Amino acid sequence: MIRRRSVFALALVVALGVLPLVAQQQQADRVKAIGGKFQCMCGCSQVLTQCNHVGCTMSAAMLKELGQWVNRGDSEAAITQSFVQEYGTTVYAEPPKSGFSLIAWAMPVIYFVVGAALVVFVISRWRKRPQAASVDASAPVTAAGVKISQEAMERGRAQAARETED
Amino acid sequence: MDVFGSFTLLLAFVCALYAFVGGIGAIITRHPLLVKSTRQAGIATCVLIFIGTFSLEYLLFSDNFSVAYVVSHSNRDLSAFYKVAALWSGQEGSLLFWSFLLAVYVISVLISYRHKNGELMPYVGVVLAGVQIFFLMLNNFVESPFKTLAAVNASGALEPFVRQDGNGLNALLQYPEMVIHPPNLYSGYTGFTIPFAFALAALLARYPGEKWIHLTRKWTMIAWCFQSVGILLGAHWAYAVLGWGGYWGWDPVENASLLPWLTGTAFLHSVMMQEKRGMMKVWNVWLVFCTFLLCILGTFLTRSGVVSSVHAFANSQIGPWFVSFMVLTLVVCFVAYVKNHDYLKSENQLDSLISRESSFLFNNLLFLVACIAVISGTLFPVFTEWFTPSRISVGAPFFNKIMIPIGLAILFLTGVGPLLAWRKTSADSLKRNFTWPMVVGALTAALAYVLEYRNAFSLVCLFLCGFVFWTIVMEFYRGAKVIAARSGMSMMMSAHELAMRNTRRYGGYVVHFGMVLIFIGLAGAAFNTDVQKTMNLGDSMKLGPYTLVLQSADTKPEKNYTAERMIVEVMKGNKQIMLLYPEKRAFQGRDQQNGTMVAIYSTLREDVYVVFAGMDPDTNLPVIHAFLNPLVKWIWLGGVWVVMGTLLALMPNRRAALVIAAATQPAASPVAPALNPSVSLREGND
Repeated sequence: MIRRRSVFALALVVALGVLPLVAQQQQADRVKAIGGKFQCMCGCSQVLTQCNHVGCTMSAAMLKELGQWVNRGDSEAAITQSFVQEYGTTVYAEPPKSGFSLIAWAMPVIYFVVGAALVVFVISRWRKRPQAASVDASAPVTAAGVKISQEAMERGRAQAARETED
Repeated sequence: MDVFGSFTLLLAFVCALYAFVGGIGAIITRHPLLVKSTRQAGIATCVLIFIGTFSLEYLLFSDNFSVAYVVSHSNRDLSAFYKVAALWSGQEGSLLFWSFLLAVYVISVLISYRHKNGELMPYVGVVLAGVQIFFLMLNNFVESPFKTLAAVNASGALEPFVRQDGNGLNALLQYPEMVIHPPNLYSGYTGFTIPFAFALAALLARYPGEKWIHLTRKWTMIAWCFQSVGILLGAHWAYAVLGWGGYWGWDPVENASLLPWLTGTAFLHSVMMQEKRGMMKVWNVWLVFCTFLLCILGTFLTRSGVVSSVHAFANSQIGPWFVSFMVLTLVVCFVAYVKNHDYLKSENQLDSLISRESSFLFNNLLFLVACIAVISGTLFPVFTEWFTPSRISVGAPFFNKIMIPIGLAILFLTGVGPLLAWRKTSADSLKRNFTWPMVVGALTAALAYVLEYRNAFSLVCLFLCGFVFWTIVMEFYRGAKVIAARSGMSMMMSAHELAMRNTRRYGGYVVHFGMVLIFIGLAGAAFNTDVQKTMNLGDSMKLGPYTLVLQSADTKPEKNYTAERMIVEVMKGNKQIMLLYPEKRAFQGRDQQNGTMVAIYSTLREDVYVVFAGMDPDTNLPVIHAFLNPLVKWIWLGGVWVVMGTLLALMPNRRAALVIAAATQPAASPVAPALNPSVSLREGND
């Protein structure tokens, strides 16, 4: 019985010693994670947790503030709001995924989807077009709407070859 | 000398005007004397720009502190090495440097083609002169580097004023790479003017074919190589000087340098479709136009300070000039295209979705999406200011989230492209070609997992690196095997012979190999760790498997600065690895700027990166910030391979003389079959 109590007491002491360390580490990780979403406001355009450039006056103060809010148990949304109130929307390291800023996130995806659709469309259109018919059908058309014959293109090509040398 | 410099630039402007107006006259009249005189005016413009640039360097070297630019960017104690770099450290000087590098390209083109391409060159000369006029206008009338100081005397009149010493060079720029990084980057920016000029000229002259591409191939590769080296040197400078532990922060100026590189890389790939199959002529012309415009946009972003950046050393009123020039260029390109686009019709069509052509199309799509994503992210703060009451910034986390998937997709296509045949690839061929690269990719990812590189993106990246690496090995192996069988040479010699016979193709593969190394380095970024600690002498800190001990500190006076050094011992277990000397430098000059010098212990596995972050204000003890950055060295090694690959691609193809000799002397090789000319004499453009 005494032995069991001793083990329990030892476990309690270890837990009491370790738990604050774990909590401290968790808070440090949280500061790092949340701090990675904001910019240092000294004008260096670096992420808050990465700014250590010479002469920076802001990052230390901002990280201290962030640490205090994290220790107080503030939510990420509340911390974000506090930072935005204090420094304005330029404090974001990445645009929020709402309102006008959503455009920044959506644009690359839209470009890719539209571009990919265009590439697939062009390929399928090219594949459907019979090669033999294409000689006439795809004969180049001038700005005035007159079709340029294959001979004219060949003449142009010959002229280019004549007038240029590699 | 300042008056002389101003005068040469003004004269250069007049000559460029003549080259432009006279060139248009020469195109219309085709009068040989006019053609010749405009070409000579073009050459004279370049020579005068050289003289103007050397005049500014002379003023910097002679410590002429009556000139405002010299006062702002130099001082007496600045070493000669950095007095050279002072030329491009400020706005006025860097714009002159732009003109200087452009003049190097222009004079090279005008002289090397003086007896060639008689009908096309007047068009090229006009386009080049047009670009020169723009920059000379800035050099002469907007941002002249030869402005002198003046002070108001007792009678209220202005009189020349000479300062005793200058403010000195920006501390961040006093680093050896700053002497070579900007010239490389600017050489890339200016170099793309040449393919642009030829493309526009060919369009204006109504050349239907690929001629301009043949003529500008080497110029494009040279510009691309400079741009690549410039970007990597900039990344290395950021890594070694800024002291934040990384090499790429998606700073607007970094982004600006990446934009023309992305479209230029897309162009280098899509141009092969035009050469091989007569396709994508319109696309290629517009890619070159866009690349040039992005070079101008890059210069504008770097110099105007329109987007807040650590690089925006000087803000000025050059914005409207750049915007006007870009709009004018776009209009000229558009009009030329609309009038003559009928000469850019494709000669072939695509036969299959699974073909080399379609892989190039997707490659171009990805490069373009990457380019648009970077532009929109970089300029988004400006857009938000226009359309909303507040400015929303876009930093590295946004770009990382968007660009990592795009980068991985491009890496995937780097491996896939060479495995696909032109026109159509059969299912059997796909299976045969993909099996081993996939196996090697999987093994690479498994090895990375065992070595504890356990991050989803990094594992995918390393899988793709293994995949691409094996496709490159296979390409060399297959070709070398054929040559070895025919010539009796060793496999190594055969691989060398193979590369020399088709330098462009195999140079391209070497560049791809360099990119694989760079991606391996990038994959390591997910595992960066850092520790910051206020340390007393003898204190230690743990950093991964290393222990850092602060041994001592000293002060090292130099000519232009005083360095405060920390001496940090790096230990692994009980074994001393090396001593590192991170320092802080207090520079002389009026502004009393501070600089930092990071100390790095670099291995293929990881970098131990130590920064002396300053003195703790509470304890007055040194603060050491140490980072453990895995795989960074692979990035710089990759850069070396990229350069080597480009140099190989620039070399002329060696004809198969050796093999012919071997084939005609069967006794020399027991297995030498008859030479197949279609294989060994093939001019490489794939």
